[in-house]
Formats: sequence, structure tokens, C-alpha cells
Amino acid sequence: MSLMDSLAAGFALVGNIEAFFMLFVGLVVGVVAGAIPGLSATMAVALTLPFTFAMTPINAILLLLGVYKGGIFGGSIPAILIKTPGTPASSATILDGHPMAERGEAGRALGMALYASCTADAVSNLALILFAGWLASFALNFGPPEFFALILFSLTIIAGVSGESLLRGALSALAGLLLATVGLDLVYGTNRFTFGSPNMMGGLNFIAVLIGLFAIPEIIAMAWNPVAHLGKTRALGKSRCSWADYAKSFKSIIRGSMIGVFLGSIPGIGAAPAAFLSYSEARRTSKNQANFGKGEIEGVAASEAGNNGVAGATLIPLLALGVPGDVITAIIIGAFMVHGLQPGPMMFVLNVDIIYGLFIGLIVSSVFLLFVGSLAIRGFRFVADVPKRILMPGVLVLCIYGVFAVNNNIFDVGVMFAMGWVGYIMMRNRIPAAPFLIAFILGPLLEDNFRQAMLMSGSDPIILFRGPITWFFWALTLLTVFAITRSTLRKKVPLS
Amino acid sequence: MRLRTLGSVLALGVGLTAGAAVAEYPERPINMIIPYGAGGATDISARTIAEPLGTAAGRPLIMANVTGAGGATGSVAVQNAKPDGYTMLFARVGSHSVNPAMKATLPYTLDDFRFVTVYEINPVACAVRPDSGIDSMDDLVAKVAEGGVSYSSSGVGSLLHLAGAMVLKEFGVEDPLNEATHIPQQGGGAAATAVLNGTATFICTNTSALANFVSNDQLKALMVTTETPVVGFDAPTANDLGKPRLNALVGWTGIAGPAGLPDDVSAKWGEWINSAAQDAEFNETMQSMGSVIDVMSPEEAVDFINNQYSVFRALVDELGMRVEG
Repeated sequence: MSLMDSLAAGFALVGNIEAFFMLFVGLVVGVVAGAIPGLSATMAVALTLPFTFAMTPINAILLLLGVYKGGIFGGSIPAILIKTPGTPASSATILDGHPMAERGEAGRALGMALYASCTADAVSNLALILFAGWLASFALNFGPPEFFALILFSLTIIAGVSGESLLRGALSALAGLLLATVGLDLVYGTNRFTFGSPNMMGGLNFIAVLIGLFAIPEIIAMAWNPVAHLGKTRALGKSRCSWADYAKSFKSIIRGSMIGVFLGSIPGIGAAPAAFLSYSEARRTSKNQANFGKGEIEGVAASEAGNNGVAGATLIPLLALGVPGDVITAIIIGAFMVHGLQPGPMMFVLNVDIIYGLFIGLIVSSVFLLFVGSLAIRGFRFVADVPKRILMPGVLVLCIYGVFAVNNNIFDVGVMFAMGWVGYIMMRNRIPAAPFLIAFILGPLLEDNFRQAMLMSGSDPIILFRGPITWFFWALTLLTVFAITRSTLRKKVPLS
Repeated sequence: MRLRTLGSVLALGVGLTAGAAVAEYPERPINMIIPYGAGGATDISARTIAEPLGTAAGRPLIMANVTGAGGATGSVAVQNAKPDGYTMLFARVGSHSVNPAMKATLPYTLDDFRFVTVYEINPVACAVRPDSGIDSMDDLVAKVAEGGVSYSSSGVGSLLHLAGAMVLKEFGVEDPLNEATHIPQQGGGAAATAVLNGTATFICTNTSALANFVSNDQLKALMVTTETPVVGFDAPTANDLGKPRLNALVGWTGIAGPAGLPDDVSAKWGEWINSAAQDAEFNETMQSMGSVIDVMSPEEAVDFINNQYSVFRALVDELGMRVEG
């Protein structure tokens, strides 16, 4: 079949109201679910799955993809408005999005989040359509040693989000690495720091730690001093994301999209590290470096581009190899299989109409996202106008509900409050929370891949330098560490 | 989820007021705990049977994922629940036969649960990369003797972990733990990927997790552990290869309550599951996922699980695989 025939077959499949309607419904469900803290994109997709069993395959997949993409964007709304990321992927958006909202620029931040998301989504979809085969075979070269080198490099992000003091950032990161060791040991299956409690065996719940660290300290601070914020403007006002804002951040958006595509096509990393990496790259190259973390619109653009860049790209290993890149795509593979489709190279031969139908749907989804997203912003932005004294108790209830709903486990709510006090103490001592979070995400990946590599080689460390990919990331790591050291010594970033 | 929670609270209230005097089980919705994550094999299986099962029970089943520690967190939640039949567990091969056999520190044993059914069997297959030069189990065993063979799993105490060691042992490898390397991964998807990208040599896991790789010629199946061949897997069965003991190596999903579950509740579940398993949509969905529907009575289920447990436990003790810490 020629390209034109394939395209025509694809159009025939999606060329009906129902397919586009499903995509649209998916996006709406996703944005709303993503905007509710604790109801992550993953859960939204999983809960939608049973509804798709009775649909035609293309409608089912488009609905799920809509929920996925909507969920990743939706997560940025509470991240900006109430400092509570709706999904883990949007935790980087807090860093600059929330300070902007505090300054009364919630509308501008939300707008930028949307435009960056849609742009990155489009780039990601194009990458999927044009380079799927190539990127997938590249991604298969990533074994544990390559992962180890990549994640080691990603840990240098910590320097970028440490704010005023590298030492405090490092302290925060160490605490994150320490807490990440709780749970079952990957290789021996033994308990680590569980103190005999079955609840601790699964490790500390990521969402509980995330919400505890970011949202709860705000609430504690509010309870401590309920009138501190009076007199500051917080209302949305007329602030909007202008064309000039977009043009200024365009380079960061494209770079973030590329990072998202790259990390998304490698199975097993996910959207949160991509967002942080994109953010730290934008900060490193920006003229307004000093303003990052204090409400820099380019920071919002970069993190949202990073996490949405992943959304299309995770379909690359899924469609080209049949390998799920993250939990969400694992659910989507389930949907394929329920409909008797088997993702993988043969699908491009046997079900080429579905593949092209999906491609067409994906391209349309970027446009739909822009539309659904701007409606959502219009609806949600009034949250910024609610007086903080009334908003905060509501946020607290939402946090408790959300953290409980993740795993139906009251223990997680306890973890959230404990982490809330940790976060509050850190806030009072000007210790940044972002390095903690990055270390908490990357620490287990670093450890697992290191130990898997050691198992592969029989404990011979040479395997960590086994090919060009590892050399590349080792070189990047060394360069970055060198640059950080130099700038620290020059006192551009004071040590403490 | 929010709506469902609200619905369950409302339904609970209605149930309590309406059925306070009549003690006919079930008088209110039943909480079903899924000890694994949303979208996984257990979750899909559980949510697919929930609808016909709820119809048979006459009350809705409220599904909740309580994940962590290879199914232990959710299992403990049911172990500690009141044995009144209103909190039940979707038990799985990993949480209720491999884990108890392998982990000394597990906070529960099989005796803490009363099984009402096993309704689904998942055949297990072993696979390698087509370009690995391994075409049969004999080739694999020969390769083990040369050294450098490894197998991937979804973690310590998973079915995949035990399966790799058990299969090698059955095919005459004396000390599979030291002659082959176990490389645990985070989850079943990552375990299959590890074989695809050459991190590990082979994998033994549920056929549903391998089906698309085998049909795309990305992986080559060496054997299946069932008596009869599995559709889509052009590989000999364990019985063809003269290893019928491997028949015990299959995945399953069942339903269990806390140990003190009354007899009449258990009998009710036996009836419900029989009528639920007739549901056409359930059968269709499960078969497309590669499962074999095999509804067992409570007695059969207990025998089946105990048999599998004792086979696994004997192997674990023989090889010294038990995790003590």
C-alpha cells in the first residue's frame, strides 16, 4: 500500500463524527481529572479503560489518548493556582507557575502552560509520525548502563533548581535520596527501613510525598499566620499570555519538546524527569537566569513543553516495538490487546489503517487540546480570585481526598502530613523542595540501573562505559559538574 | 473515582437502613480490593468480572486498588478486615503462592485467607531473542553450562523470578541460582523489554505478556508450561518435553476473603462466580488477553493453590531462594 492509500484508509477510519467526538470527550475528561490533585492522568486512563471495551478499536484508543494528553496538561492548572501538582509530571511547573500566580499573573502562566503544551504536543506527534522507527531502534540501545549514565547526568538538574544556595539544594537532594530507599530492595527482595510495617514495604507513595512537600507547607504557613498575605494582589486581573511572551519562550519550548520526545521514546523514564530536565536547560541558557524560580514565564513554558513532549513520544516504543514506555502506555497496550491488536512492527503491516487513523487523530488532538484547554482555563482561573483564607481549607480537603484516592490507603494521608511538616521546616530554613523531589524520583532509577548493570557484568564497573551513549552522558555529566563548580567558585552561586 | 466514592457512601447508607433486620448476605455493596496497580493484568481481569459478578450478587462491587510491595499491602488490608464477606480480595499467583513460598517476612500466610474461587488461569511461556542462537530448551541449558545466561523478572518474589529458576532446574541445571543470573526489573513490561534489548537472555512469564512480541517475531517462544499448546505460540508444551511437573507453573486470579469467612458466604460466592463466568463479554475480553477461564469451586481452588504452593515451597527450600531479611 502506498502512503496515499494508507492515509486514505486512515481517514476512512477516523473520518466520522464519533471518532473525533471520542477524542474530544477524552481530552475533557483528562483535563478535568488532571486538574484534581491526586487523580493523576494514570488513574484517569485506567478508569476510562473499561468503557472502551465495547467501542471500535480506533475510537477506544483515541479516547484513551485524549484522556492521557488532557491529563498531562490538566495537571498544570492546580500546580500554578494552588501549588499542588495534579499529576507528578507537572511538579516542575510549580517552580515558576505558582510564584506567577502569587504575583497576580495566573492567567498569563496558565496561558503559557497551554500554548507550550500544545506546541510540544504537536512536535511530539510529528516526531512519532516521522521518526518512530528510528527513535525506537535507538531507544532499544538503552540498557541499564546507558540508563545509569543518563540518570547520573539528570541528577545535575539539582544544581539548577537549588535556588540561592547550592549547599541547601544538595542537603535537600540527600534527604530525598534517603527517603527513596524505603521499601523492598530490588535485587534481594529484603525490607529496607520499613520498621516491620506492611504499609512501608511498597515505599513511600510518590503522590503523598509530592503533595506533602509542596501544598501542605503553604497551608501550615497560612494557619500559622492567617493575615500575612493580606494586601498582596493575587487576583487574575487582565493578565494574559501575549504573543511576545510566546515568541520569547519559543526556543525553550522547542528545546523542551525535543527533550520530551527523546526521553519519552526511551521506555521507563516518564514525564516528570523530562519536565525537570527541560526546565533546567531553559534556566541554564536563559538571559533571565536569576529570575528562574521566582516566577519566570519561560520556566513555565519549558516545564510544560518537557512533560507534554513526552505524551506523543511514549507511543513510539508502544507502536514500533510493543513496549510500554510508562504506566499509562502499559494500560493503553491492554486496550490494544482487548481489541485483538498487537502493537509492534507487524502492526504497521497488518493494521496500517489503524496506525494512520491514530496519526490523524493525534494531529487533531493538539488542536483540540488548545480549544479544551482554553475553556478549562476560563473555568478554573476564578480559583485565583478566591480569597486565600477561604481557598486554603478547600485545598487541604482536596489534598487529603486526592492522596487517599491514589491507593485507598489512609497511611498515605499520614505520609502526606509528615512530609508536610518536613516541607514546612525546609521552607522556614530556605531549603528548596525541588531537589528533594528530583532525588526522590531519580534515586531509585539510579540505584536499580546501577545494580542491574552490575548483575549483567558480574560486578565489573567497566560495563558503565560500554558504548558511545554512555560516553556521551558521562562527558555531559563531567562538563556540567565542571561548569557548576566554576560558577560556584566565582561566587555567582554562593555556597551557603 | 470521586463519584464512585460518593456513590458508595450513599449506597452504604441506603443499604444500612434498608437491610438492618434481614440478615441475608449481601445486604450492602461489597468492597473488592485489587492488590495491584490500575491497568495491570489483575486489574483488567478484576474489573472485567466485576460487572457480571455484581449482577449475580445483586449488589454492586466497589473496586479499589491498594498497591505496593508485590501485592502485600492490599492483601494485608483484607487479612485484617472483618470476615463478614464485605471485604474481599482479588488474589493472584504472585501475592498468594510465590510470595508466601519465598518471603519469610511476609506479614501473612495462606492460612490467613479463605479462597472462594480461582476463575482464571494464565499459561506461562519462556522466550528468548530470535537472534540469540537459542532454538530450544536444550540449547538454553547448553548455553547455561557455558555461562553468562541471565533471566529477567518483575522483581524478587514474582512468578517470573521463580519461573526462571524452576524451568532451568527441571531441565537439569543443578544450581540455577549461581549458574544463571537473575536480573530483576521494575514490573512485567520492563522485564520483557530487558530481553528485547539484550539485558537478559531469557524470560518466563504469562503468555499474555509475550503474545505481541512473539507474533511480531521480536521474541521466540521456547516452551509453554501447560499440557495443551497455547494459540499463537509455536512452541512445545512442558508435556511434549517430558516435564509435566512444570504444569504447576501457571498464573491465576482468584477471590479470597479473610480466614474466618462463614460457610454460607463462601457458598454464595461459588454460585455467583459460576453464573458470572457465563457472561459472553467477560469470556471474550479475557480470551483476547490470553487467559483460560477455569472456574473452580472453593474446595478445588484451595487444593489448586495449596498444590502450587507446596511445589513452589519445595523448590524454594531446595535452592535456598527464601528471602529472610
